[in-house]
Amino acid sequence: MELLSLNDISVAYEKNLILKNFNLHIEKGELISLLGPSGCGKTTTLRLIAGFLEAKDGRFMFEGKDYTRVPVNKRNFGFVFQSYALFPHMTVFDNVAYGLRLRKVSKDDIAKRVTDMLKVVSLEGFEKRFPGELSGGQRQRVAIARALVIQPDLLLFDEPLSNLDANLRVNMRVEIRRIQKELGITTVYVSHDQEECFSISDKVAIMNQGVIEQLDAPAVIYKYPTTEFVARFIGFHNFIDVNGLKVNGEQVTADCPQGLKLSLVHRSGHPIVEQMKAAIRPDDLLIALQSELSNGLGGLTAAELETGWNVVAGRVKVSTFLGRSYQYEVETALGTFTVNREMEAPFETNAAVQLILPKEKVVLVRTKV
Amino acid sequence: MKKVHLWLLLLPGLLFLTIFMIIPIFMTIGSTFYHEGEFTVDGYVKLLSDPYMLKILGTTLQVSFVTTLVCILLGFPTAYYISKTKARTKGILLMLALFPLLTSAIVRSFSWMVILGKNGLVNQFLLGIGLIDDPLKILYTPTAMMIGMIHLFLPLMIISLVGVMENIDGDLLQASESLGASRWKGFMSIIVPLCVPGLIVGSILVFVGSLTAYTTPQLLGGKQRVIATFLYQNAMTLNDWYMASVIATVMIVITFIIIGLMNRLARKLNPKG
Repeated sequence: MELLSLNDISVAYEKNLILKNFNLHIEKGELISLLGPSGCGKTTTLRLIAGFLEAKDGRFMFEGKDYTRVPVNKRNFGFVFQSYALFPHMTVFDNVAYGLRLRKVSKDDIAKRVTDMLKVVSLEGFEKRFPGELSGGQRQRVAIARALVIQPDLLLFDEPLSNLDANLRVNMRVEIRRIQKELGITTVYVSHDQEECFSISDKVAIMNQGVIEQLDAPAVIYKYPTTEFVARFIGFHNFIDVNGLKVNGEQVTADCPQGLKLSLVHRSGHPIVEQMKAAIRPDDLLIALQSELSNGLGGLTAAELETGWNVVAGRVKVSTFLGRSYQYEVETALGTFTVNREMEAPFETNAAVQLILPKEKVVLVRTKV
Repeated sequence: MKKVHLWLLLLPGLLFLTIFMIIPIFMTIGSTFYHEGEFTVDGYVKLLSDPYMLKILGTTLQVSFVTTLVCILLGFPTAYYISKTKARTKGILLMLALFPLLTSAIVRSFSWMVILGKNGLVNQFLLGIGLIDDPLKILYTPTAMMIGMIHLFLPLMIISLVGVMENIDGDLLQASESLGASRWKGFMSIIVPLCVPGLIVGSILVFVGSLTAYTTPQLLGGKQRVIATFLYQNAMTLNDWYMASVIATVMIVITFIIIGLMNRLARKLNPKG
């Protein structure tokens, strides 16, 4: 069931249009992340939903009601700030109770609900502390408790983990996901950290220059990015121009420059348009010396490799030790490719190598949104 | 060893203050209990049972109190606005706010005499638009002293407040709004308590400044006396240095009482301040 929708929303900040004809639909109970580089409009979108910013154009619908002009304090949304924004002159208890007191909840009820909520975020016994006496992770939990205790209709997170150290960040994101599922509360989560978003979200919206480039489940985005921007953002480093496509169901043949032909599997439902590129991750691209190909490689037999399909010849230019594997910059007639291979000793510089693009690992991406 | 060197840095200032301030103050206080060769508290009894002195004390406290209150009311919004502007604008606005401090109190008091006098700008204007038929008596009243001192001390309130307000996280107000507070309610329950340390510092500066001011009340108050002018009168006109010392001691005590009360108030309003 659709809970909220942004319809043709435009937001301007000092004459700069940050969002233009922006659309987003969110289902009840799901956790959706807005992910993208800084300046992509993700925080603007979140602040618009919260009501901190006003739309210049368009409509914001929530539970079928027009919320476009509803002020922040009448929305009943919980907001967790990057800075936590705890009230420094109030104890943990008073911070969490703040929203309840405004709602004229009885004193006994407040005590009970605050205590229960502090239990949910594992902060029992911290009631009388002041924010200044807590660690970063504890402050974060107070901020979450404070936002949750008012039983919000929507929970909003603005880069909540970016001020924590790496270990704590992993723990907290598991915690956030657990609480969110436990309470079944619809959540919008903003971050620039790909791993963070992918690990906790039902859906991820990847944003660029005020536009959602792709909105899908994390696993789908990871495997099947639909645009060049998304592919680059999630680690596809290798792109090949495509001159022509032959589509036969999911089986696609792509004609590339220098006579290269690529056979690949395209995910149905992702549209095929005029201008596309083929893309592959450094980890999925195979690299081998000519002599290693006689037994076949990458699901292709030696005979298939002979045809030259999905194979590019090149020379190693740079090799970098990554720990588990070596990373190579390989120069080919189609440009430079980046490829990783787990091996004991690296290829030598200028070694002649073959790059193999396994057909189920190559994706077609649109060059424009 | 490093710590010892740091102590040496403190020494010149400390020496200066001890010789020229702390010792004289104790000598002044001591002298009030020792008059004509014997221990006495007669000076205090005489002073505090004198209705004229009590009236002066009342006027002084009233003027200082009103001055402080008006400085808070005028300074708070101004400081809040300044604290919200960008760094460049903030610098310019702060400089403008501090500008009055750059002219001497005497020059300013004379300006106020021109403005507030019987034929001054205020009276000319009010007579001109027909609001009054006879000129108002503003100059040489407590009101004139207050106006002069508000003008004098407002910058101190503003810089004390801006310093505190600058460090208040801008997200706090939004956080309170997202929890259901109206903007006004959020401002009163979050921003104001967090400004308490600045309010206290500013209030102490303004109150103590008003309490001990001499030039402004002397020029704008006319025959109206405040403690400082009364003290001057005793010392220079009546040549009664004993009484002047007693008055000085009373002023010091009042100052400490006021500072103590304000700090107590601060702890009550903002326990973490």
